[in-house]
Amino acid sequence: MGRYALQRLLGVIPLLFVVSVLVFMFIHLIPGDPARLIAGKDATLEEIQGIQEQLGLNLPLWKQYINYMGDLLSGNLGNSIRSGMPVTDMLESRVMPTLWLTFLSMGWALVIGLLIGVISAVYRNKWPDYAGTLTAISGMSIPGFWLGLVLIQIFSVELGWFPTGGVDSWKSYILPSITLGAGIMSMLARYSRSSMLETMREDYIRTGRAKGLREYVVIGRHALRNSLIQVVTVAGLQFGFLLGGSVMVETVFSIPGLGRLLVDSILFRDYTVIQALLLMFATQFILINLIVDLLYGVLNPKIRYSS
Amino acid sequence: MKAKGKVWSMFMLLLITVVVAAGCGKADNNGGTSNTGGNAAGNTEGTSTATKDNKDIVIAINANFITLDPHNASDTHSISGGRTMYEGLMGFDENMQITPVLAASHTISEDGLVYTFTLQENVKFHDGTDFNAEAVKVNIARIQDEKNNLRLRKSFAKVAKVETPDAKTVVFTLSEPYNAFLNKVAMAGMISPKALQESGADIAKKPVGTGPFKLKEWVQGDRLVVVKNENYWQQGLPKVDSVTFKPVPENGSRIAMLKTGEADFIYPMPTEQVSEVEGQEGIAIETIDSTIVRYVTLNTMKKPYDDVKVRQAINYAINKEAYIKVVKSGLGAKLDSTMSSKTQYYSQQTGYDYDVAKAKALLAEAGYPDGFEAEIWGENDSETIKGMQFIQQQLALVGIKLEVKSMEGGTLSDQINSAKTPEEAKIQMWYVSWSPSSGDADGATRGLFSSEMFPPAGSNTAYYKNDNVDKWIADANKSIDPEEAKGIYANIQKTIWEEAPWAFMGVDQIISGKRTYLEGVKVYPDGSINILNAEVK
Repeated sequence: MGRYALQRLLGVIPLLFVVSVLVFMFIHLIPGDPARLIAGKDATLEEIQGIQEQLGLNLPLWKQYINYMGDLLSGNLGNSIRSGMPVTDMLESRVMPTLWLTFLSMGWALVIGLLIGVISAVYRNKWPDYAGTLTAISGMSIPGFWLGLVLIQIFSVELGWFPTGGVDSWKSYILPSITLGAGIMSMLARYSRSSMLETMREDYIRTGRAKGLREYVVIGRHALRNSLIQVVTVAGLQFGFLLGGSVMVETVFSIPGLGRLLVDSILFRDYTVIQALLLMFATQFILINLIVDLLYGVLNPKIRYSS
Repeated sequence: MKAKGKVWSMFMLLLITVVVAAGCGKADNNGGTSNTGGNAAGNTEGTSTATKDNKDIVIAINANFITLDPHNASDTHSISGGRTMYEGLMGFDENMQITPVLAASHTISEDGLVYTFTLQENVKFHDGTDFNAEAVKVNIARIQDEKNNLRLRKSFAKVAKVETPDAKTVVFTLSEPYNAFLNKVAMAGMISPKALQESGADIAKKPVGTGPFKLKEWVQGDRLVVVKNENYWQQGLPKVDSVTFKPVPENGSRIAMLKTGEADFIYPMPTEQVSEVEGQEGIAIETIDSTIVRYVTLNTMKKPYDDVKVRQAINYAINKEAYIKVVKSGLGAKLDSTMSSKTQYYSQQTGYDYDVAKAKALLAEAGYPDGFEAEIWGENDSETIKGMQFIQQQLALVGIKLEVKSMEGGTLSDQINSAKTPEEAKIQMWYVSWSPSSGDADGATRGLFSSEMFPPAGSNTAYYKNDNVDKWIADANKSIDPEEAKGIYANIQKTIWEEAPWAFMGVDQIISGKRTYLEGVKVYPDGSINILNAEVK
């Protein structure tokens, strides 16, 4: 498996190269001239051309790409077109809030989601199942934007327990992670329920019960472990999305995270920042997929990768 | 339970690996700064009472600061942020009138070419160095340096030389008279020459000025904290210990912060929520007229807008009172000139009162008795779309069938500026707003109405060309006597009003919300926030 992992890791490099070309092309193809957007409405043409020159935006596209790749390979992500700050500095200050938010939301969503899923499956068509389904469906259908504002109204404005936003203390992360995790929790609950139900129809479960294993061993060791594959796949995908930052939650709770940075950068065609962010997101996704694939092997020894 | 333990360890493995994977942002080492306390504002959460026991105030605004370089800021928030720490020779008061700040007095020569400033004495930069004539010279040289390509460079393009006969006198000599020069001087905050030399381009992150506040920390995207400058040259100011600016983009969240007391002041206050919080205990709403005007440009080189009667008909056909009520929630004023009443040399015009019959008559005279089909462009935020739909509904009543095309800002800008000549231009009508960056009449006129300013050179998207207006704009610019300039601008406004290259819509109001114990935080008509006189009572 070690060799397989290494091979996969090496395979990331050409993939990233393709991604970098695509990202670069797409960004430069969107209409809108960063120089004009930065210079402001009352800028003169001369001023705009000055900015274009300064940023190298007047060069042919292929030359711009070569310059960009040259910088990238020497570990330089460049400076933000809009603010002139090094892109690495900007990412640095934005990564932590998004990471915290991702882990907290994912953490509780996984635990509660699996719990609801398993309980629902075990007590199929009894009231715990109905309660679980109700929770999951509500969690999925409530729009996050609305949920966030309602939570702020109740827990910040009325009760005063948590701040309305920001990242000043651990308390600030509670409401946003509830908002962000609600949908994921529901999705995981539904997936784990159906997956568990499927597994529990398998012969080996019946055999386990027949040979007198305790019910929690049957559920915990055999049923749950075998149903986790689907859950891990879904959780991995969600993880990837969350690491890209949630624009909605970051906006409602004023969190300086990656999602808002991306949207702000797109509005101003801040090419360097968009490129850096998209490359980072792509890398994260590729790595998470790799981890998920490796986890399959851990969960089900029948799945083994040969090189 | 062994199996469960394994599940957990796998989960942890997943977490750890992802942390490492995301470490490409070098987050593990330094990123933590954005989560740790550093909460200079003090934790005011839950204090919904109408008193405050410290002098640390929090101001929530709707967008991030981009730069703190006073010579390179082009957005209003960056200008506000810069002005907490920097001052110019001149400044603006709350009516956008020019007032002396670091210059104690000034004289202008009879020919309008030589500006002599006498500087305030005993003013020091935050780093302890003296503010003097030499410092002014260094700052102007930095602005003028072509290599720096700073936003303020064009404002000082007419400065031929800067002389410093002694430490408290600075003499600017212009290559030609420039009526708006003092407004431009007011935009140029003075940076410590020592800090400029030491920080270089980093000065945008590490401001060192003479202003009432000093930088404590600026966390991009999260907060800007400034603290009281104990050695500020104006006695008794500032009256608060620190001010924290927080970007809070979501309207609902900004209001919630005001309600909980997490923010002492919010701007902008969303118009649709004013009635909800108005009269609530501990909260006050402040409203002033802005320099922001809203209008629809009519492409005067395209049929049917090339006929002045059609343009006037459009002006008669739109009910401006209803526009303000419906689109602006009643918070705004009718636009009764080419500029707001808060802009220099404004002169009020009359006419174009809502009159559907007259509009129809004018259209018939112009040869369009049954109206025509047209396109209106605008950005894609909800208020702009609402405005365009209102105009669409109004013009339908006189037979003009409008198609509303809302576009994202960058795309729209491309659509407008890709036309290199007036003939290529596809633009018909554009619903948009404008605010002169330094409150001067030239800034509210030249870019919009001079025939040198057709896109892509400028924002004359009406493709308005009137030789008299062109000449007057140049004359006013060179005029030395304010009364004379005023007269010229009155002519300009009257002529443009009559020729109606725009559908004149409204003037925005600046609406802010605050806790009642806070005094002295003012939003100026250009949308910049002034905290010099902030005080907790």
